[in-house]
Formats: sequence, C-alpha cells, structure tokens
Amino acid sequence: MTSLARSTVVASALGISIWAQQPTTTGRGGGATPAPPAPRLAGGKPDLNGVLNGGPYSQDISRNLLPGEQIVLTPAAEKLMKERRPKDDPEANCLPAGVPRMAPYPWRIVQQATHMFILFEGNIHSYRQIFIDGRPHTPEANRWPSWYGDSVGAWDGDTLVVDTVGFNDRFWFDAKGHPHTDQLHTVERYTRKDLGTLAVETTILDPGAYQKPFKIGYTARYALKDDLMEYICAENNQDVTHITTPAP
Amino acid sequence: MRLSMPVKAAASAAGVGLFLGALPMLAHHSFAAEYDEKKPVKVTGIVKKVEWTNPHSRMYLDVKDANGKVTTWNFEFGSPNHLFRAGWTRNTVKEGDRITVEGWAAKDGANLAQTRQVTLADGRTVPGFAGGQDSGGAPTQ
Repeated sequence: MTSLARSTVVASALGISIWAQQPTTTGRGGGATPAPPAPRLAGGKPDLNGVLNGGPYSQDISRNLLPGEQIVLTPAAEKLMKERRPKDDPEANCLPAGVPRMAPYPWRIVQQATHMFILFEGNIHSYRQIFIDGRPHTPEANRWPSWYGDSVGAWDGDTLVVDTVGFNDRFWFDAKGHPHTDQLHTVERYTRKDLGTLAVETTILDPGAYQKPFKIGYTARYALKDDLMEYICAENNQDVTHITTPAP
Repeated sequence: MRLSMPVKAAASAAGVGLFLGALPMLAHHSFAAEYDEKKPVKVTGIVKKVEWTNPHSRMYLDVKDANGKVTTWNFEFGSPNHLFRAGWTRNTVKEGDRITVEGWAAKDGANLAQTRQVTLADGRTVPGFAGGQDSGGAPTQ
C-alpha cells in the first residue's frame, strides 16, 4: 500500500488528525540491525529500480560540493550569474531542470537490460533516457542541444557510471543561477549502498563556464512503499508573476 | 525551527527528508524572491475556493474586516503531492469551511501569502507545506 493510501485509510478510519500519529517507518533512528543489502538482478548487477527521494539542493548546488571541491566560474559565467533574476529561472517557469538539478519530488529509476529511465514526478513530469547497452554517444550530427543531453551508462564494478553530453545551455544548476554552456559534460556515479540508500556523485566538466571541473554528491533514499504521483507544473503556475526582487 | 513536531513526524513517515531551515522548502522557486519573512499574516475567513493544482495547491479565503468589507486572500500551499503524502486528504479543507491561516505575505503587495499552517474549524492545526526531498545540501556519504 502506498503511503498515500495508508494515510487515507488511517485518516478516514480514525476520522481525526493523523499528523501527530503516523508511525515512523523509515527505519532511521538508531536500530542496531544493519540495513538489508542492495538487491541484485539475475545477471548479478545491482538492481537500481525503485522510487527515490533526494537530490542536489535546488536552491544552491554549492551546498552539495564534495570535500575539497570548489566552484570556480569563468569571468563570463560569473557575470551571467550576477545578471540572472529568480523570475527567469527556467525551472520556476516549468521548463526542465536539466542535469544535475532535480526538483524536490520523488523520482523513479526504471532499469531494463538495454535502457535505464529516470522518471521525474517534478518539476515537469519528465524523464531521462540512459542507454546501457554499450553503444557510444549519438553522433553530434544526429543530435541537437537538449535539456537532458545524450546519456550512456556502463558498470564500473557495482557502480553505474552515466556519461552525458549534448546539453543545451538553457537550464540553471540551481535557483541561484549557476550557469553552464553547451560544452557541459557530466559524469554521474550511481551506487546502491544498501536496500534503502543510493549514493550519487556527479562530476561537472564545462570549460565554457568553470575554470576547473568540480564534484557534487548527494544521498537519495529508496521509498520502498511510495509511488509517483501526477505533477503538471504549468497548470497553475502563478509564482513568476509575483517574483520581482533582484537576485541576492 | 518553525515547523511543528507533527510535520516532522509526517515527513518522516512518508519517507521524506525534511528541510530543516527556518522557512518552508519550496519546490521550484525561491521563497525570498516572492515572500517576505518580515510580513507575517494571520487571518480568519471562509474558504471560497480550493485548487488542488501544481506547482502549488491554493486556497482562496474571503476575509471580512471590521467594516464588513470582504477581501479575498490567495494562500499558496505545498503541492497536492507533498500535502497528501504528509496526511492531507481532500476533506481536510473544503469550500465553505471557516479556517485561520498563518503565513508570509508577498513582497509585491498582492493579497497573496505563503502558508505556514492552518487552524481548521475543529481546532486542529495542520501544516501548509510539508517539506521537499532535497538533500538539504548534505554531501553524499
């Protein structure tokens, strides 16, 4: 049963507030039992399938820098970032979040033999397609600059390494407006640490906007009993008309 | 910490990481760009309309002043997804209900506010936002 269904049943059965009464079911909080191991597929590779919560901090990606990492903008990128205003954030205008940004909504990994899909509940109910059948990147002549780029994945031991090129320069890495160019190249490392935990480390390479590559990381949690819900961002987006303040 | 314990309990039960900042987590726009944390709002009125929509749920409240003049306030809530995962149902607030809403007003002077919490007709208090699933900036382990 999904948490929604469970909540609904509990609420209607009791006819009272459930806010203070839902039990904690995440398993966090100091139990001595180790987390169950990551499941594996028939071929032996880790099974990444499932609904997840977690992603880089959508307001400021620098909060996710790994130890020792630094964001060093080129002068042109620094100028561009200063000129950006919150109302122009493509994500706030219901355009795709791109990579590595994610809206704070659940997402689902669907892992097949040849393809992996990341289905995003937010910010625009979209998906990424990652080829994991060993093919090289789509030739440059056969693709155009895109929001999610051209992604191929391969296993490095128990870590799925996703290499993405072919991005457009339109999305922002966060609400602060960290920019990038169409030279952006991302390398993401997905490691399912145990049944409930997925660690993701992403290297951002973009000599057009950053003087050196940098790495960010986050931990996502498998929501084993949750499912995605509908989220149509553009149906009632009133915010941008009220955002008037210059960027901080 | 302005979020109440029940919010944390609900977010935790939903398998959701709660953003622990002083102001609500927003799905897709900056709080500070639209709302003013120095302009708290607390009004009581009759629910004119409920919108279960994205990126935010909205409740329009008819508020009568001392002279009998009615002003309609537009209160922004978390998305239906966030609210329902945290325990809301379609019956939590319905059109015609008399409720009290607390939040922060828009910077541009519109009768618009982001909701912190709602006191329902029966006296229960429920959160208007229920955390997103950002990692809150915590680097990976």
